[in-house]
Amino acid sequence: MSATASKVCLLGDFGVGKTSLVARYVRNTFSDNYLTTVGVKVDSKEVPLPDGAARKLVIWDIAGKSGLDALNMSYLRGASGLLLVADGTREATLRSAVDLLLQSRTLLPDAHAILLINKLDLVDRWEVAPATLVELRKSMPVIETSARQGDGVEQAFLEMATRLNA
Amino acid sequence: MNGPSVNDRISPELERQIGRLLFEKMQPLLLEFDRDWHLVNLHGDAALFGFAPDNAANSVQQLQDLFLGMPMDGAIDLPFVQMPNGRNAHVHLMLVDGGHQVLLIDAQGEHDRQQAQQQVGNESFLIAQQKDKAVRQLRQIRSELESQRNRLQEANALKNALIATLSHDFRTPLASIFGYLHLLEEEPDAPLETRNSLRALRRNANYLFALAENLLEYARSETRSSLLAPVVTDLEMMVEDLDQMFRVQAEDVGLGFSITLDREPGNPPVLDELRLRQILVNLIANAIRYTQSGSVKVSLAWRGGSLVLSVRDTGVGIAQEASQAVFVPFNRAGNAGNGGAGLGLSIVKRLVQQMLGTLEFESRLGEGTCFRIELPDLTHLVQKVDAPVESEAGQTHADRASSVLIVDDDPDMSHLLGEIMAGVGFRVRVVADATRAVEQALADPPDILLVDVELPGLSGNTAVFRLRAKGYRGHVVTISATPTEEARKVALNAGANQFMTKPINIEQFTRAMLRVRRSD
Ligand SMILES: Nc1nc2c(ncn2[C@@H]2O[C@H](COP(=O)(O)OP(=O)(O)O)[C@@H](O)[C@H]2O)c(=O)[nH]1
Ligand SMILES: [Mg+2]
Repeated sequence: MSATASKVCLLGDFGVGKTSLVARYVRNTFSDNYLTTVGVKVDSKEVPLPDGAARKLVIWDIAGKSGLDALNMSYLRGASGLLLVADGTREATLRSAVDLLLQSRTLLPDAHAILLINKLDLVDRWEVAPATLVELRKSMPVIETSARQGDGVEQAFLEMATRLNA
Repeated sequence: MNGPSVNDRISPELERQIGRLLFEKMQPLLLEFDRDWHLVNLHGDAALFGFAPDNAANSVQQLQDLFLGMPMDGAIDLPFVQMPNGRNAHVHLMLVDGGHQVLLIDAQGEHDRQQAQQQVGNESFLIAQQKDKAVRQLRQIRSELESQRNRLQEANALKNALIATLSHDFRTPLASIFGYLHLLEEEPDAPLETRNSLRALRRNANYLFALAENLLEYARSETRSSLLAPVVTDLEMMVEDLDQMFRVQAEDVGLGFSITLDREPGNPPVLDELRLRQILVNLIANAIRYTQSGSVKVSLAWRGGSLVLSVRDTGVGIAQEASQAVFVPFNRAGNAGNGGAGLGLSIVKRLVQQMLGTLEFESRLGEGTCFRIELPDLTHLVQKVDAPVESEAGQTHADRASSVLIVDDDPDMSHLLGEIMAGVGFRVRVVADATRAVEQALADPPDILLVDVELPGLSGNTAVFRLRAKGYRGHVVTISATPTEEARKVALNAGANQFMTKPINIEQFTRAMLRVRRSD
């Protein structure tokens, strides 16, 4: 029988690496070229869980914006998981990610949220301070990722699937 | 009034017509599903959105996934959705007769236009951000560099101040020691034992002097070339002195020692005597230090306007790999200065360069080393050089009572200068500061004013300047512990006729003073 499916949306400023994270996770590819996402692209992948079960994630890569307009809100409907993505080399994108979470809470009060700080491969250029992450970890799971090198990517989606399955 | 009538309702007939027209124009794909998402009907270009029969099942599944979690209680609009085949469409879900109808309208053209527009905006935003960041970083780097440079400049200023102080503090007492030694050595009837003691004193004072000079020479900023002091150099005396200085030392450790001079008659060498001496002291001390058995042979040859020195030993030698490293300060691998500070060869190299000479060496590990240095005559660098004076020339004029005013705060130094000047027939007065020097020189102008630069309160240069401003016309000799070109310029600008640095070579000083008296 087929696994239970859940809708998971990626939210974050443009250029933080949402499209790249999905490409890495679903197709194991990466490109240095930046191509603006317009609208949405939906992919899906089944995640095998440690307990032998599996969960299908229907992953929505939504055009990056720092605020949620009516259009983006309509994309969010029905989501049970939110992957908020920030770019470690741009502190401002972390604030956007947190704002986006607060805004989406009105529509999705119960969605599981995980914060991804991307571009771990550029960690020596990070503006986000370790102390900030320590603070954020008190309120939600935070995972450092690199779409470029793959670090943390599997872990992020597995973490989401596990939380959805619980 | 025959204007167009505004009607908020169009007739159903017209509406149907427009619907058909749009349907034909926009070529939508309409998919009809039953309640369980089984595809029951399909109108339009199925292949355009990837719903061709071969992969329709897969595409249908993905279409269904789009509505996952959404309440199926009304119409749903999802603009700009990328279809499984990559094409962009506006997706509309409608609930009809207990089933779903999904209308896909091609949005590729619109998508591409929007994308192109946003791409430019987003990219320029990202680039501007990166630029801002780079500029901020550069600013920070610059301010860090600036504060670092300030710290370095402070440290450097401190270093220079320290050197100036050291320089003064070393030279002044050494000048006294050398001066009094000279006076004692002149005693005609001193017993042999006293003479030997004096030689030992001179040897050690020389050694101390060389050591101090090495340190100062090292510490002096490389950019500021220190003043060359070319004088007629008495090679015989230097050879004799070095022999005295090193023979005992070499023989004490079982080494043979020889120093020879091969000298063209007439045409005396004009060289920087102190630097030449410093070179030889360093090379000979090094040779003795690094030779366990055998000998150290030194030769000086003066001919054709250049002095060739060679210092040959039968010591440990210098490995090929170390042949450059030995000239690096504080490198003890291949060499060490006579003071053990590892400065010797680096100083020698610098001194040779300052004297416009060349240096080379040959060495074999375990067999020995030979340094060869060639120094050009420096006559062309000085307008007027101390010519050798017939011995005791001054004495014949002793009856002409000339006067000298000595201005020095160091009583040992002023006493010494007084002794020397009195010894050659001058009437001597001594004062210890600049203010009194000005008073005295104006009240009773001396033929020669000997003034130390580094005085308490007003400097010697200031005193000279004031005197010149008030019309004093005697001969002014400024004496300083700072051997730089800058110090010389300042002294001459203030009105001095001659600038001498400590320690003073007594012989040359005496000759110069006698010459002044004869010419006035
Ligand atoms: N170095 C590095 N670059 C990344 C990473 N993830 C994405 N990028 C680059 O960041 C830019 C924006 O990525 P994209 O996935 O389009 O961001 P989106 O707007 O959030 O979808 C692209 O040039 C990517 O190549 C990463 O982990 N490391
Ligand atoms: Mg994107």
